[in-house]
Amino acid sequence: MPTVTIHPTGEVIFLDPEETVLSGLYKAGYAYTVGCRRGGCGICKVDCREGTFVYNRPIADSVISDEERTDGTCLSCRAVPEGDITIEMRDGDVRLVNKFLRDINERARQRAEALARAQADLASATTSKE
Amino acid sequence: MGVMRLGYAHVRVTDMAEAKNHYANTMGLYETHSDVTAEGAKRTFYKAWDEWDHHSVVLEEGGVGVVKYGWKVQYESDIDEIEAKAQAFGVTVERMSRGENPEIGDGIRFTTPSDHVFEVYHQATLIGTEVGTHNPDSFPRHLVGVGVPALDHSLITAEDPGLMDRFLTEVFDFYATERVQTTLDDDAEIIATWMTSNNQIHQLAVLAGPQGKLHHFAFRLGDWSEVGRAADLFSMDDVPIDVGPTRHGITRGQTVYFFDPSGNRNEVFAGGYLAYPDRPTNVWTPEKLGKGVFYHARELNDAFTSVLT
Repeated sequence: MPTVTIHPTGEVIFLDPEETVLSGLYKAGYAYTVGCRRGGCGICKVDCREGTFVYNRPIADSVISDEERTDGTCLSCRAVPEGDITIEMRDGDVRLVNKFLRDINERARQRAEALARAQADLASATTSKE
Repeated sequence: MGVMRLGYAHVRVTDMAEAKNHYANTMGLYETHSDVTAEGAKRTFYKAWDEWDHHSVVLEEGGVGVVKYGWKVQYESDIDEIEAKAQAFGVTVERMSRGENPEIGDGIRFTTPSDHVFEVYHQATLIGTEVGTHNPDSFPRHLVGVGVPALDHSLITAEDPGLMDRFLTEVFDFYATERVQTTLDDDAEIIATWMTSNNQIHQLAVLAGPQGKLHHFAFRLGDWSEVGRAADLFSMDDVPIDVGPTRHGITRGQTVYFFDPSGNRNEVFAGGYLAYPDRPTNVWTPEKLGKGVFYHARELNDAFTSVLT
């Protein structure tokens, strides 16, 4: 389960598998400057500072140039993280518009991390018995 | 009379399957043809229920934005006249032959000063409306989704909207029903212009912006309640709504802006007053542009001038 960390403000948002960065941020109660939300306009581009992502749809060359495919440009409405990523907004900060969703997202992240720790403990306990 | 209407909008989509779902199942267009271009791009042709010609919307897979617009003229001779006027304006015009566009006759093709491709034609295969002409009912009983009756107009961007105002006036015999300009002075710059050849409030609008871009293309609806119902359907189908339902101060039309699955902006548009060439042109100035575009919110949103395909 990937997380998106926003640099430099440090918010950490938990994403469902196959979820786009934009969808994940909005589902966690955040808003920022977006346009068509469908990969056509390029307004929701952010910079990816760490981690990798893939696009879940074909992206028009007029939206993402060849250079932008390798320079960390992340078209957030179509970008699906391959693991934890860190992004930086280009046009102002994200705004928290629904704190209830933020709280739900935070608890989901804590549960997933606790589960991952428990599974790791179980795996090491099983290994040490053998 | 020259240009009768915007005959077709031919646009690019990134994913044909998603696009077809939107234009057929949400908008309610009727597919009339599909093919693959010589370059291998899938195309799908549509008409709306109250249109009689073969198609009014063409989707082509690969990219986003507009490929070209088709303008239907009343007489075959109008093609020659527009060719001469375009050449006089300084535009290079090429002839197109029957069949270059499926079910569309001979015509001309040129690139406008705004870097958009226009085709002008007189003949298109007649399919007929979905209610026919013999004692017709008022609408088809089994419309799908919004069930739009027709393509209505488009808004494009250009670096010099004033030049396009002059071009459409001189070449298409269009006139401006409304304009946004920097001041009320005679030497004011035109920021945007709404143009038509007949009583329709606008067939093509041009807004200051980058060359060759699509702001939106619009489908016609009857009234406020149909616009509201369309917006309800967009929520049901998870169509991203840009703005609305609201009214435009400019044209007085009622509207929802929304995006297709590739991010091309669409609109459903109802109303608008009857246009006449002798009616004095409405003029808007930048301090009231927000009210002109979105009559209720009275301010532009982030996306209005920046989201283009």
